[in-house]
Amino acid sequence: MENEQSYQVINESPRSKKLTWLIHHFQREWRLYIMLAPTLIWFILFLYKPMYGLQIAFKDYSVFKGITDSPWIGLEHFYTLFENDQFIRAIKNTVIISGASLLFGFPVPIILALMFNEIINPKFKKTAQTIVYLPHFISAVIIAGIVITAFAPSTGVVNLLLNALGYDSVYFLTKPEWFRTIFVGTGIWQEAGFNSIVFLASIAGVNPSLYESAVVDGASRWQMMWKITLPCIMPTILIMLIIRIGNILEVGFEMIIMLYQPATYATSDVISTFIYRQGLQAAQYDLAAAAGLFNAVIAFVLVIAANTISKKVSRTSLW
Amino acid sequence: MSGVKLEGVVKSYKDVTVVHGIDLEVKSKEFVVLVGPSGCGKSTTLRMLAGLEEISDGQVSIDDKVVNHIAPKDRDVAMVFQNYALYPHLSVAENIAFGLRIRKVPKPRIEELVKEVAHTLELTSLLERRPADLSGGQRQRVAMGRAIVRHPKVFLFDEPLSNLDAKLRTQMRAEIKQLHTKLGVTSVYVTHDQVEAMTLADRIVVMSDGRIEQIGTPMELFNNPINTFVATFIGSPPMNLISTTITSIDGLVYADISGNKCLLPQLENPCDLEVIIGIRPEYVDIVPVDNSSAVPIHVDLVETLGSEALLHCRIQESAFVVKVDTHGKVEHLKHLDTLYFRQDAITVFDKTTGRALSRSSVGCNA
Ligand SMILES: Nc1ncnc2c1ncn2[C@@H]1O[C@H](COP(=O)(O)OP(=O)(O)OP(=O)(O)O)[C@@H](O)[C@H]1O
Ligand SMILES: [Mg+2]
Repeated sequence: MENEQSYQVINESPRSKKLTWLIHHFQREWRLYIMLAPTLIWFILFLYKPMYGLQIAFKDYSVFKGITDSPWIGLEHFYTLFENDQFIRAIKNTVIISGASLLFGFPVPIILALMFNEIINPKFKKTAQTIVYLPHFISAVIIAGIVITAFAPSTGVVNLLLNALGYDSVYFLTKPEWFRTIFVGTGIWQEAGFNSIVFLASIAGVNPSLYESAVVDGASRWQMMWKITLPCIMPTILIMLIIRIGNILEVGFEMIIMLYQPATYATSDVISTFIYRQGLQAAQYDLAAAAGLFNAVIAFVLVIAANTISKKVSRTSLW
Repeated sequence: MSGVKLEGVVKSYKDVTVVHGIDLEVKSKEFVVLVGPSGCGKSTTLRMLAGLEEISDGQVSIDDKVVNHIAPKDRDVAMVFQNYALYPHLSVAENIAFGLRIRKVPKPRIEELVKEVAHTLELTSLLERRPADLSGGQRQRVAMGRAIVRHPKVFLFDEPLSNLDAKLRTQMRAEIKQLHTKLGVTSVYVTHDQVEAMTLADRIVVMSDGRIEQIGTPMELFNNPINTFVATFIGSPPMNLISTTITSIDGLVYADISGNKCLLPQLENPCDLEVIIGIRPEYVDIVPVDNSSAVPIHVDLVETLGSEALLHCRIQESAFVVKVDTHGKVEHLKHLDTLYFRQDAITVFDKTTGRALSRSSVGCNA
């Protein structure tokens, strides 16, 4: 059997050789492809097919003419965008808000995971974990509702607290200087616990005899955390960081929509909300598509860059 | 100097007791090996010594000082783990230096010590590598280096060689033995491999089910196992056991094997009729000698090992193994139909308790 096959292969041209290989490959592995299919289909339908519509970013799109028949206008929309102060402001706000989320939000789950890891009493540990995971499962609308209520000028807990301390009430949600703090803080409160799961799993994967060996060597818990736990979960931290950097331009859109108001646009209007207002509210689909495309290209470059740097620096990379 | 003493040491997890009161004294500079089947509590005992497990009852002392409530780091012991426990993010040099750094030893001194250890273990050229880039044997040596660099009072080894292949294991075994001779540090070594135990130990502790079965030098255990458990655990292939009955004629004791009378060594109290007689595969003769009894056999299989061969045969329907020198020929072994049991090569065990009723005198003669 084997000999016969290889004999055939030798006589065939390289192209049909590849084809034979492919046929054999499918015969052998078709089950894996079937399992892969739902994901592939999802990607094609919801991520690749819409890409066809991206061309309207370079067209003077009209709903009546349709995507194909609208005339090409080159980079016109991009010029318009970059002449638009609101778009420039949206880019700036996106970068600042994401940067702050990353800077303040990224370390929190790691710290939480390290802290959970130090809790010895299992009951206390479970309770504490449940409490910090909980906000993740609440829908954004309710979270926004909670935030709005908490910061309400006359009845919100925050202002009641301020009043009790002898300060005047502040209507936080109308103050552009407070928006970023509130938004970033809300994000951390909602997701830090849940995001810590990844790091906890990674910590659980650290070989326990490393700790035992360190105990015999005389290391304290604090030293073990710094010298063993952290370095051992560093690959996970870096992977998560790469993913976060890739998503840096994707600021939680629903949350901003629900928390911002024209009074705070100066600090709160980000690219996605800008696209939403231009595209859906003002029906300038082509301009919005151009803004979205710009966003995607930057994100793409960021992921590649972060991955490359990480690969060089720490041998860890997504691909 | 730095001996280790366990007195009535017990370990229980909630309501299960896994170590039932162990008494053991390890003398200074002695190499003691704990051996026993999987799950018998060897690691647990060692970890209690290291301070990684709390002691439920009894007393552990190192250097005549009770250490029951002393933290592992203050016991001045070093432990080598089965999976090496090397820090993946640190280089070989940093791994070796870890314990010293934690103890705030001055930098120049650390460098000096690491160099010295690397030299001893032939790791000098590997000092900058990460553990992931080392072979199994090299990792094992780094783990050893990390233990010896601190010059502890006691070394503890938990199956340090079980992740290595057979050849490397033999080599590392020799290296550990040499290292012990050179450094002369009190060592407690855990293994489930009786060959490792025999080759390394000054004294072997055979454990089973959380109890010590017997303590003795390798040859004591080999020649005079205290019960059938030790008899079958030590030695490879294990001691042959034959279940039989005894009769006493004119003050001499005989066992009945396949209808033949087999002369047994003198028993202190030869009243039990039901016994188990044990004889090592190495101590069976294929030609008659003084004081030997003939036993008919049927050879099933001859395994040729080169200078030696293993005869797998049958006596009273139970399997029986004989190890013989081939002197270059094996053909004649296949047709063997009689074996000769020397009186002094036989150990007699009580059938119900498994305890030895006689002491074999082979070792004494030799
Ligand atoms: N945390 C625990 N709770 C309950 N029982 C335990 C616990 N840890 C160990 N044991 C039990 O203690 C017994 C002894 O375990 P130990 O690890 O000392 O065995 P061992 O002799 O080292 O075996 P091996 O050769 O497989 O390493 C085992 O039966 C094990 O199931
Ligand atoms: Mg063990």
